[in-house]
Amino acid sequence: MTQSDAPRSGDDLPVLHTLRCGGYAGVARVAAATGLDEAAVESELIDLAVDGLVTRLAGPFGGWGLTDAGRAADAERVTRELDSAGARPVVAAAYGDFLVLNPELLDLCAAWQLRSLDGVAVANDHGDPAYDARVLDRFAGLHERAEAVCADLAAALPRFGRYRVRLAGALDRARGGELEYVADSTASYHTVWAELHEDLLATLGIPR
Amino acid sequence: MRWVRPLTARLDETEEALGAKAHGLVALHRLGLPVPPGFVVTTDACRAFLDGGRLPDGLREELAAAMGGLEAATGRRFGGARTPLAVSVRSGARVSMPGMMSTVLNLGLTAEATAGLAAETGDARFAVDSRLRFLSTLAAALSGTGAADASTGPGTAAGRGADDEEARLAGAIAEFERAAGRRGGRAVPDDAAGQLELAVEAVFSSWDTPRARAYREIHGIGHDLGTAVVVQAMVFGNRDDRSGTGVAFSRDPNTGEDTPFGDVLFGCQGEDVVSGRTPVLPLRELGSREAVVWGALVDALDRVEGHYRDACYVEFTFQAGELWLLQARPGRFVGAAAVRVAVDLADEHVITREEALLRVSPRQLRHARTPRIADPARADVLARGTGACPGVAVGRIATTTEAAVRMAADGPVVLARPETSPDDMRGLAAAAGIVTARGGAASHAAVVARSMGKPAVVGVTGLVVDSAGASISVGGRTIGEGAFVTVDGTGGQVALGSPPVVTDGSDAHPRRLLAWADDVSGDRSDRDEVQRLGAAHAVLRRERPD
Repeated sequence: MTQSDAPRSGDDLPVLHTLRCGGYAGVARVAAATGLDEAAVESELIDLAVDGLVTRLAGPFGGWGLTDAGRAADAERVTRELDSAGARPVVAAAYGDFLVLNPELLDLCAAWQLRSLDGVAVANDHGDPAYDARVLDRFAGLHERAEAVCADLAAALPRFGRYRVRLAGALDRARGGELEYVADSTASYHTVWAELHEDLLATLGIPR
Repeated sequence: MRWVRPLTARLDETEEALGAKAHGLVALHRLGLPVPPGFVVTTDACRAFLDGGRLPDGLREELAAAMGGLEAATGRRFGGARTPLAVSVRSGARVSMPGMMSTVLNLGLTAEATAGLAAETGDARFAVDSRLRFLSTLAAALSGTGAADASTGPGTAAGRGADDEEARLAGAIAEFERAAGRRGGRAVPDDAAGQLELAVEAVFSSWDTPRARAYREIHGIGHDLGTAVVVQAMVFGNRDDRSGTGVAFSRDPNTGEDTPFGDVLFGCQGEDVVSGRTPVLPLRELGSREAVVWGALVDALDRVEGHYRDACYVEFTFQAGELWLLQARPGRFVGAAAVRVAVDLADEHVITREEALLRVSPRQLRHARTPRIADPARADVLARGTGACPGVAVGRIATTTEAAVRMAADGPVVLARPETSPDDMRGLAAAAGIVTARGGAASHAAVVARSMGKPAVVGVTGLVVDSAGASISVGGRTIGEGAFVTVDGTGGQVALGSPPVVTDGSDAHPRRLLAWADDVSGDRSDRDEVQRLGAAHAVLRRERPD
């Protein structure tokens, strides 16, 4: 991939990799995920599109996404980044820790969405603040342990630091009453968590 | 004995002390039904373990004594080189919860005992297969992941005998021994008594995993309840082709219809059914292949139902054509099925009409109106899985996110995927309904489906999504992209075409129940159904406070 040797701002890999881990997204979502401003993201996306690594689909479910070449380029570059930083053992260990937390996170999302009342699993209508507070407390407890995993990852590869910011931000907003930040919005705790999961698989080259 | 109780018809202690599983087994004993001999370690012992951080004084001796009792009852030797006794070790709290270790099978199959079992049965592959299952379930228990992953293990008793297969099994055993040792922080002892102590500790420890703690806090269950441990002589569902395992309801949990319903697997052990790794057969297959087992099972369901005075659920294993029951509990039906069972039981004079009314909560009645496939038994059901988001979706099958987005422009789409990842978010957004092969009710696909309010069935065992070939296959059938399917996210069915869908508001059973409600309340004015039922409940609760 000769393009990857061209001089660049250094922001192209975060943009490319955000699409790899999060799937199709608009400029605003990529900006929120990377922490870059929207103009910079758009500029990177256009350059990446010129290189044939990303493409933009129109329509109601459209957005920017990777081409097959973009997927291959991303895999090559994150692997190179991982190995040149000597970070593989740390990331592999953190992935093991993540897998311990993952079922608990998914349980909590399920408990947030469904309640068992009179033996019937019904949608949580969020009319019982005490129940919601119990679940969010558990999210906070889980988050403390997730923070430790993210800190290990960020120490080895700084780009993983974004997940600390994004997960903490989602939890803060959820606890502040914006309930869609638990499992509904594209910036929800669950969404960011799923992207972190995908990132660990992509970074370590583990197929799904 | 202080910590251990033999499981017999005479055992008379609370569900708090024995756990739900042992309590159900005692009920089965009292009904005279076939239950493998066993004993229970009480929740008291669990609390003592959690307080002290080690098995309480005297428990080791009691385990050894109880094992001696099992040896006498079975005429076999625990860890013996000849006629070895193997046991199952299962957790059994008063409430079951995710994240808790569930089952270790075939415990006691040391290397020596495995050789003994091979010599006794003349079937080395069966013996080695059984040892592999022991190590894989123990490894899972020690790692605290709850579910065993014996994916390297053999599927069924069919196709046995190949030498390279035995070599592969030996390799898998070595791998699981290492994994169990690594996860447990120490080597797996090759003596049966040591293995039993390790497994009991694993069950007790699993009570305190973060997942289990989180579940209890959310659901208001006390941390001090503790779990019991049920230890029973193994019945081998993987013994031969006339052996197997299954789960059964006395009535259809989807509709409440009075016909046995469940899954069966031939040549397999219990975890294979629950884990969903192996495609299961409908329960009625048992009737055609093992008539005697079937007859005994139908009789057992009848008696257990009589005991609970309610639809019931049992887990069973059969070895060489002989039925054994491993667990029983009330069926806990929901929605329309709960309404129908209550009405039918009243008509059968098993319960009174007043009891029928009290068994259906207003929430159940409301739940009964969730759209469902009207009659799954008569629909062309392609596959079954776990209903993850209630409701019915009808649409054309798409096997990739790209296809789902493209096809959604022309009408509703059902997205079928092996599992989902963030990459599938566009497809999930474009689809009307979702089907996945892997994952449970808390998988990524399930969480996203609920956040979008889309009917979903997840964990469809045996579903293969062939994106390149634009088709799915399941249960021996292949369905091309674009075919119409119906997804019932309550019952967990995926049916071909568009079978009739009901909301049950006008169904005969709710109508009858509500007529009884009006008889009780004496109020026949025009009100909604929940009010009619609520008025009857108010009168009944006044008359018989409990």
